[in-house]
Amino acid sequence: MLSESIWILPALPALGALVNGLLGARWREKGIAAVAVGSVGLALAAVLALLAEMLSLPAGDRSFSVTLWRWLSDGALHVHVGFVLDSLAMVMVTVILFVGFLIHLYSAGYMKGDPGYRRYFVCLNLFVFFMLVLVLADNLVVTFVGWEGVGLCSYLLIGFWHEKKSACDAGRKAFVVNRIGDFGFLLGTLLAAVTFGTVNYADLARLLATGPAVSEGAVAAVALLLFMGAMGKSAQFPLHVWLPDAMEGPTPVSALIHAATMVNAGVYLMCRIAPFLENAPAVLPVIAAVGLVTALYASFCALGQRDIKRVLAYSTVSQIGYMFVALGCGLWAAGMFHLLTHGIFKGLLFLAAGAVIHALDGEQDLGRMGGLLKDLPAVSVTFMAGLLALAGIFPLSGFVSKDAILWGGFERYGTLFWLAAFGGALVTALYTGKLFSAFLGRRRFEGHPHRPGGLIVMPLATLAVFALLAGIPGLPLFTADTFFARFLGMPAAQAAPATSAAHDLEVALTVLQSLAVLAVLAGAIRLFTREKRPVDSAVLASGFGIDRLYDFLLVRPLKACSRFFAAIIDARLIDGAVNGLGSLSMALGRFSAGLQTGQLRHYAVSLIAGAFALLAITVCLAGGL
Amino acid sequence: MSLEHVVGLGIVLFAIGAAGFFIRTNTVVLLLCIEVMLNAVNLILAGFSRYLHGTEGQVFIFMIMTVAAAEAAVGLAIIVALYRLLKTLDMSRINFLKG
Repeated sequence: MLSESIWILPALPALGALVNGLLGARWREKGIAAVAVGSVGLALAAVLALLAEMLSLPAGDRSFSVTLWRWLSDGALHVHVGFVLDSLAMVMVTVILFVGFLIHLYSAGYMKGDPGYRRYFVCLNLFVFFMLVLVLADNLVVTFVGWEGVGLCSYLLIGFWHEKKSACDAGRKAFVVNRIGDFGFLLGTLLAAVTFGTVNYADLARLLATGPAVSEGAVAAVALLLFMGAMGKSAQFPLHVWLPDAMEGPTPVSALIHAATMVNAGVYLMCRIAPFLENAPAVLPVIAAVGLVTALYASFCALGQRDIKRVLAYSTVSQIGYMFVALGCGLWAAGMFHLLTHGIFKGLLFLAAGAVIHALDGEQDLGRMGGLLKDLPAVSVTFMAGLLALAGIFPLSGFVSKDAILWGGFERYGTLFWLAAFGGALVTALYTGKLFSAFLGRRRFEGHPHRPGGLIVMPLATLAVFALLAGIPGLPLFTADTFFARFLGMPAAQAAPATSAAHDLEVALTVLQSLAVLAVLAGAIRLFTREKRPVDSAVLASGFGIDRLYDFLLVRPLKACSRFFAAIIDARLIDGAVNGLGSLSMALGRFSAGLQTGQLRHYAVSLIAGAFALLAITVCLAGGL
Repeated sequence: MSLEHVVGLGIVLFAIGAAGFFIRTNTVVLLLCIEVMLNAVNLILAGFSRYLHGTEGQVFIFMIMTVAAAEAAVGLAIIVALYRLLKTLDMSRINFLKG
């Protein structure tokens, strides 16, 4: 049966990368694209078959697992390379392969004519492979392998146009900032291994539930360290700085890696280690606070950007912040559901933005876009569908997922928390209105936008349809017991008895939120499509100067430090020691060379003197004198 | 004529030979100085041989005389070759043996 061989899911993209990487050097673009798209497509078909099989099983046994081989064993600790596909992994895998497949398809058209066509698809396939390893892994160590692998592919793809210095810098920045988070991940893994003697998720969950008591501090430490890893990968404040710069990569890469899949890995990881969070409830408010701060901060930053891709990047940071808010409220299902819907509509937005940029010959400045609805109807309509979902307008997917999060925040952390989260949602509506201005109002682009081909429009249309429909699993509204939550089968950390008064309040809040968001969005569209647009704030555009702060606090001291070490320690001390030894032996040599005069009589004197000295010593030692 | 006289003469002769080797520069004279030193040693050996009523010292004298003869032959040949090469026998100007 297919469920016995879930390893085939990561194997297929890996095979695609290998075939293209080893054999594809002389192939034409069509062949390369066929291999890359085909491998992901086959994996998608496999996962759909697995999904059907999973749905036919009773809710309790929805988990396929396979252990391939033993990788490391050190005393009591064994690390197996094993995969597990449960309903949580299924959600992620479906998003990865579904969005990934469409993006591969889109890339085949988007990257046409690029000299790095093959390299692009090799990296992209490799990314899908590592992402699937990350998601399917049944223990922390194998997850870490995937975790680092996607980081590598992200680095390679951000710096894909490596002849541009800014792209290389952005790739390096992403890598370095991610290392900080990875450090936490690694420490968390080690601490879990030391404390529990295993890194397997299922074993850890069992030990936490029934095993010998472990101090809550240790559990919380593991959870916090792993959360640090999640913050790096998911670009949470203050480790978010790499994501806006990562937009230097090709747009489909931004859609796949930096919107739909990799940046969500942190959310997924937190759900994976949910037993830890449930046993250390003190960690939850930390997660919620980081998520809320990020969501608010990034939505304001998005408002200040001019570059269409950077708006979307900050928006991604902000939306992932909402996912962490959900996790911080103990609402795993709501967080994962927002991940699902966000993956779809943000993937759509990035792809559509790519199509717009393509059509306008590389123009990314929102200030020079306007009235594109007439020139690019298909792209504009899909983009606007994505925008409505992002803003959370009533029947669209974003509404369903975000509403659950806001209510969860209200219920657990009270009115102030809800107000802040709701404020973030309003700012989201504001910058969404700003993005709308690219399609409505007056034309601002000189020249003729060329319409994209079918390979580009088809994925857009598919994603747009799903952006509209993806809210369905989140029904019924106003309850934590949605279809999606039932499929996921993860209990919420809290099971608050739903009183009818609370229910009424929830309905009222939802209506209020929807109306407010709608009003703000309408106002923002009017505001930004006017002839004279509001001036962008420099503070917002620079992300409140966090980059400059880091530059001042970290980069410059480090640079000064390395200059000091290069100029003083290395050049003076170390080179001095080495050169000093050299010149010392040179001086010694010159001195002893001076003893050799070439005069026979000098040699004779030293000979006789030596003989007498030896004689004297012998006599002395013999005690004669 | 006691042992002290013989050994004392030998020491004086050796000292004269050594001093001549240090001071003089003519290569032929240097060779002569070496002969003086060797014969000073011979003298001391003979003196001890007589004093101890043994023959080992005398055997060594013959040994040394043979070596000295060979050395003189080789040394004179070197001196001839040196002179042909450098047109001088002044040892202070022949100083190729240096680092």
